[in-house]
Amino acid sequence: MVTIEDLSVNFGSTEAVRHVNLEIQGGEILGVVGESGSGKSVTALTLMGLVSEEATVTSGRILFDDAVLQEAGKPRDKALYRRYQGERMSMVFQEPMTSLNPTQRVGRQVEEMLRLHSMPAYSEEGAPGRGTAAEPSSPAEPKGRAAGGRQQRQAMKQLVLETFAAVGLREPERVYGCYPHQLSGGMRQRVMIAMAIILHPRLIVADEPTTALDVTVQNQIMDLLREINEKRHNAILFITHDLNLARRICHRIAVMKDGRVVETGTPEEIFEHPREEYTRNLIEAVPSRMKRRTKRGGGGQICPEPVVTVRDLQVYYREGGNSLFSRGKKNHVVRDAGFEIRKGEILGLVGESGCGKTSLSKAILGMNRDITGEIRHYSTRPQMIFQDPYSSLNPSKTVGWLLEEPLRARGKLEPERAMSAADMRCAAMEMLGTVGLSEAYYDRRPSQLSGGQRQRISIGQALITRPGLVIADEPVSALDVTIQAQIMELMRRLQEEMGLAYLFISHDINVIYQMSDRIMVMKEGKILEIGETEEVFAHPREEYTRQLLRES
Amino acid sequence: MPRDKCPAGEENRADVKRKGGIKWNKYLIAGLCMTGLIVLLAIVGIFWTPYSTTSMSASERFAAPSLRHFFGTDNFGRDIFSRVMKGIGTTILISTLVVAMSGTAGILVGALTGYFGGVVDEVVMRVTDAINGFPSILLALVVISVMGTGQRNLVISLGIVFMPSFIRIVRSEFIRLRDADYISRARLMGVGRIRILFVHILPNIFSTFWVSVMIGFNNAILAESGMSYLGIGVQPPQASLGKMLSDAQGYLTTAPWYALAPGLTIVWIVLGFSLLSEGVQRLSK
Repeated sequence: MVTIEDLSVNFGSTEAVRHVNLEIQGGEILGVVGESGSGKSVTALTLMGLVSEEATVTSGRILFDDAVLQEAGKPRDKALYRRYQGERMSMVFQEPMTSLNPTQRVGRQVEEMLRLHSMPAYSEEGAPGRGTAAEPSSPAEPKGRAAGGRQQRQAMKQLVLETFAAVGLREPERVYGCYPHQLSGGMRQRVMIAMAIILHPRLIVADEPTTALDVTVQNQIMDLLREINEKRHNAILFITHDLNLARRICHRIAVMKDGRVVETGTPEEIFEHPREEYTRNLIEAVPSRMKRRTKRGGGGQICPEPVVTVRDLQVYYREGGNSLFSRGKKNHVVRDAGFEIRKGEILGLVGESGCGKTSLSKAILGMNRDITGEIRHYSTRPQMIFQDPYSSLNPSKTVGWLLEEPLRARGKLEPERAMSAADMRCAAMEMLGTVGLSEAYYDRRPSQLSGGQRQRISIGQALITRPGLVIADEPVSALDVTIQAQIMELMRRLQEEMGLAYLFISHDINVIYQMSDRIMVMKEGKILEIGETEEVFAHPREEYTRQLLRES
Repeated sequence: MPRDKCPAGEENRADVKRKGGIKWNKYLIAGLCMTGLIVLLAIVGIFWTPYSTTSMSASERFAAPSLRHFFGTDNFGRDIFSRVMKGIGTTILISTLVVAMSGTAGILVGALTGYFGGVVDEVVMRVTDAINGFPSILLALVVISVMGTGQRNLVISLGIVFMPSFIRIVRSEFIRLRDADYISRARLMGVGRIRILFVHILPNIFSTFWVSVMIGFNNAILAESGMSYLGIGVQPPQASLGKMLSDAQGYLTTAPWYALAPGLTIVWIVLGFSLLSEGVQRLSK
């Protein structure tokens, strides 16, 4: 149906996409998998005609059925694209927060698709696909075509409501009148999907549609996409960095690297017999429960003595908003937390967003003082590693300065441990080596580093004062899979060498499994379950844990 | 022990931005040329001017621009070019002092209120609202009429007028950055508050602050000229661009160069500094 022939796209002098050949057949789900910068999104955006003006197609062409949508050397035909966008192909974006207009009711926004593409055109286009559609074929439609004005609006609204129901939004009437901020992330993504399918396009391009969502919601959205594909027979171009997701729903998978398609095949072929070295690395790097962490070496023994104990901890979060009902309201975000972290162990904390993981860690570090209960530390100045490597290093400083600052701060607080400038420089250089970077990085600034390198510096900065406890809040979630594996490896090695204790927070139960000695499961502010990793995975006590395990 | 080196793939991007040096752009070049000329004139004007700025000559009243007098002469037969040279110096000196005063106050007050928040923040913000509520020239007028005229009082009054905007800008930047991850980390390391404020946060607001300093500087030039024009700024016989403008308004039809010379100089200065700030901004991108 859609053929991408020898497509190359350049941004200035950088080649984002190099000689890509892809074919999407009617009704199939084609997965495009690759790490950030592999050119997968640029390929999709070029196909949709949404790529920015700076990009130029330097070779190849894109065909939809037999019509040429784009060809090297020719400017993009905007009028032609307008006939295709929305009606024959549509797109679901990654970020459901920003892809809806916050000032308009979502119902109106979906309706706009109908208003922009006149209804008659819709009924012709959509006719083949709709026999099996979840919605009953809309009786209001002919009326809408005949009579204008109010009746047509009524018909459009009806159709929007039906589509809302088709994408699994309960109470479509209520959702219709909601503003985006009143909906959860999953609901917003459903609205986006409704917008994408309402005109029955033959191709839906989904660019990381579930990356911003929680695991359970992610699964629902994936099921929905598959269901839409089965019922409406529209092709889906599914773009993701997550091999496991692609494996679950795609009929075929294309693996991209550095702008090229390195391998195409069915999920079985790709996973069982990867032909390319890169594909193999990618599959290796995905954290999975198949591979258990190697047993610890002799270096780091878990001692029974704790580095921190928490008893009856309640954490509150005062909502600062001026909303009518929540003014000054204290939200109880963590309830009755009680646990300890032992010297030299990695305690994994898993839970969905909003379950209180971060609030708990901030309370332990004293960054949130709105608490009751007891937190007792047995180590000095625990450190934290944050999720986003782009905001956790001060952009105006050099790497060397960043690594030395903790030593300077300690020197101020404990004059007997103050170090000379030369000693600090030495320590910083040594730490660079420890986290696997060369000494040349000493004078660089964070803006000159990649995400993985920044995370290495973050780790170095946290460890240079040798704290007993490090809290790592989703330290690998923002990184590509292969980098993720490297950082996890690094953190584990340092933990063993330095005898550190980690509180390792993640939403990804597979990551937790690979890292942790013990696991703690949180839901809605409560700690549901604590136990040895193997024990919890083999015999989860709580239904929620079982659900988490099932869904990942 | 094994050291897993950061693999090559990760290293690619690092060297791209390294090669330093200044990347010249048109704004920067034009701005530097224009302000350079102005600063040169001002500096030379301190030590030497073609004619005395105060000596009058009845025979040469209202001489049109010529090789002898570049910008012509005024109603007292004084050389306008010489007076413009002196006037630039006065105007720039006053504007610089005003920006320095209000900028410093802005950093101190804005940093403390933005970072710590609370009651003090509320009070300071309401005070700045109040100051903003008055027309700025009117407010400066009130200060002058209480303290009396003179260059020092002019600086103080304009400094007060300009303070709120600096406080607001610095404060909002500090609010934006106080909860940044790297600031949380600095707190965890045990870095002292003052050091967090001025070593960890302050350098990161520089680009925003620089822009507001440049805009403030231009506004100060205009405000000084305006005040002198109204007669409450620089007092005769000292030359200032605004003062010259106000003196010239009676002779607009007979000796247009008298008004044009200081007027165009003001335009030139403001334009030059605008271009310069634009250029510097593009530099940091």
